[in-house]
Amino acid sequence: MTQAKKLIAPGLTEAEAIERAKSGDAEAFEALYAFHKRRVYSLCLRMTGNTAQAEDFTQDAFMQLYRKIGTFRGESAFSTWLHRMAVNVVLMQLRKKGLPEISLDEMLEPLHEDGPRRDIGARDNVLAGSVDRVNLERAIADLPPGYRIVFTLHDVEGYEHNEIAEMMGCSIGNSKSQLHKARLKLRDLLKLRRAEKANRR
Amino acid sequence: MNCQKYQENLPHTIDSGGNAEEEAHLQSCTECASVVQDLKYIANQAKLLLPMHDPSPRVWQNIQSSLRNEGLISEGRTSLMAQKTISQVPSSSSKAFSARAKSWTPLGWAIGLAAVVLLGVVLVNYHPTPTQPEVAQNSAAGQAQVVADQELIGQVSKQQPAMRATYEDSLKSVNAYIVDAKKTVEDNPEDSAAQRQLMDAYDQKAMLYEMATVRSLQ
Amino acid sequence: MNRHHLKTALGVVALSATLLGSTLALPLPNDTRKQTFNLAPGGSVSIVNGGGSVTLHPSTGRQVVITATRYSDKVEIDFTNTPEARRVEARTHVLSAKSTSDESRVDYDVAVPAGISIVVNTSTAPITIENVDGDFSFSSDAGQITVRNAANSFVHVHSLTAPVSLSNLTGVHAEIMSSGGSVQMVSVTGPKVKVSTTSGDITYQGDCSGGGAYSLVTHSGAINVTLPETASVDLSAQSVSGSVINDFPFRERSHNTFVPTPGRSFAGTSHSGSSSVELQSFSGRIRVKQQ
Ligand SMILES: [Zn+2]
Repeated sequence: MTQAKKLIAPGLTEAEAIERAKSGDAEAFEALYAFHKRRVYSLCLRMTGNTAQAEDFTQDAFMQLYRKIGTFRGESAFSTWLHRMAVNVVLMQLRKKGLPEISLDEMLEPLHEDGPRRDIGARDNVLAGSVDRVNLERAIADLPPGYRIVFTLHDVEGYEHNEIAEMMGCSIGNSKSQLHKARLKLRDLLKLRRAEKANRR
Repeated sequence: MNCQKYQENLPHTIDSGGNAEEEAHLQSCTECASVVQDLKYIANQAKLLLPMHDPSPRVWQNIQSSLRNEGLISEGRTSLMAQKTISQVPSSSSKAFSARAKSWTPLGWAIGLAAVVLLGVVLVNYHPTPTQPEVAQNSAAGQAQVVADQELIGQVSKQQPAMRATYEDSLKSVNAYIVDAKKTVEDNPEDSAAQRQLMDAYDQKAMLYEMATVRSLQ
Repeated sequence: MNRHHLKTALGVVALSATLLGSTLALPLPNDTRKQTFNLAPGGSVSIVNGGGSVTLHPSTGRQVVITATRYSDKVEIDFTNTPEARRVEARTHVLSAKSTSDESRVDYDVAVPAGISIVVNTSTAPITIENVDGDFSFSSDAGQITVRNAANSFVHVHSLTAPVSLSNLTGVHAEIMSSGGSVQMVSVTGPKVKVSTTSGDITYQGDCSGGGAYSLVTHSGAINVTLPETASVDLSAQSVSGSVINDFPFRERSHNTFVPTPGRSFAGTSHSGSSSVELQSFSGRIRVKQQ
């Protein structure tokens, strides 16, 4: 289905809804909201790990959308454009609130020392197959803020490091190393959960 | 090349692959291999995460009142919006949409939604199953939906066998609902109430899939 | 791996544990465990349970008090809260797939402050909430869902075959979806009430005047609406192959999308027609009568 013909409600394509929302049509805007709210909210929720903040930021993102939709020229898909706007809203708001910088101290021991423990047995020790969606979502929510944002943007939302660097105002190398630390931390959290579960049985 | 060196450079090599020396270390070192395997697994699982939650209706209420406070929309428009359902399509009172119904292709849209439902299930049930290639080969949405239904029932009977009959009955009912609602829309393409009922039918089916999936993860 | 490595690994575990907040497991069978949390403003409470029950009622201040009772050691109960106490979660884990429904049931009694978001997921456990205002999202396969006495609340319900009962709700935003469960509403009013079922019956009783939008839609369930003489509504009812029976003294009017057909569709207004009521079924019988 091409973008121009994508229907977001009976009798209404996304392209039509955008054109009508540009001229201030509140119903068309509502249809756009109804169609995109879930993705935008999930993005905000994963970036913040906090439902109240995620709701506030979702609201801000759609307010921005209403104000700026006139500038949408269709160079990219509408959803791409909207999600980028939502990411920027979240980053801007978090900066206002003093996004906690990740200090180097937060790096744990040298990476290798956190390696696999042979006493458990190599096969059980890898995560593959043992992680469900709920556990992963929880572990993401438990990440420190900076890690959570980079991980969400790269691994969940599929942004490239150069895009993340631009949005977050950091270097590409920094984005890569934050992502790596985030994944390592998730590995710790997921293994910890699994170990706790095993101990209880 | 030792483990320390290899892992120091891993942030830059994990998604793109390292040089020959690094690849050789990865092949020979089980510890580094298990780190890489875990991290790639995490990255892959993250790609399968779906947006599962809707924002509270409070969010839309707040957007509406902010737009009103900023004078971006007028009172008349707002009250019209307030009367309508929030998460659903425009109701029958929305003539603007029905007037454009000429270009409306209910089946195309419905299949799109069915595909969304199907996609959700395929992504959530990431365990590869023998039926998967069949799904890919047979692009007819109806067939794919039948397979998806079977997989859903299979999943329910594995995870919560006591609920199998209930899910089977519910799926049967909702599929009948969809057939009836589709037929009504085809017979009366201009009828916005029929369109809404078809959307409700698909929402009902989406709910079944969502409930089965959420329950099985508990 | 040498001892040094093991120690470091344990250090990581300890550090991660503090990041996760507290996680408690119950030690004994047939026991009751009570835990109090101070919930941050705007926080949420989430309960995940299979069988048994979940009962919610008001607490004092910002406290959340969860009392969980289990009846065998084949289940475990986890209490989790995030460090800033924005989210409190209680979750039942069934340890053995072979345990009976009696063994795996857990009863939750939860005291909650007003104005928070509450998410409850159950399989067969009934969910009951009384005298609490807030933002509710309840989902149950087969456990009865009951919401009583609330003002200005958001009520989201998903049910498979679970009956849903709402009563005495004012200023409510309700979105109820049930596949085969019946949905019963007594004195439920607010800006928006939307109920949709596949085969469950829908019953509405009370005065829905006051400017709301009410939409009751079903495939094969029956829709029964009973209004007092004073009700000020603008009502339309339409059934594709079922019957529509109206015994309420409406002023009939024309409808903008269908021509009323006796026995199949109907549109009418009473008093000033302040609220809109839309009833729609495919094969289910629709009946509107006066109280
Ligand atoms: Zn190595």
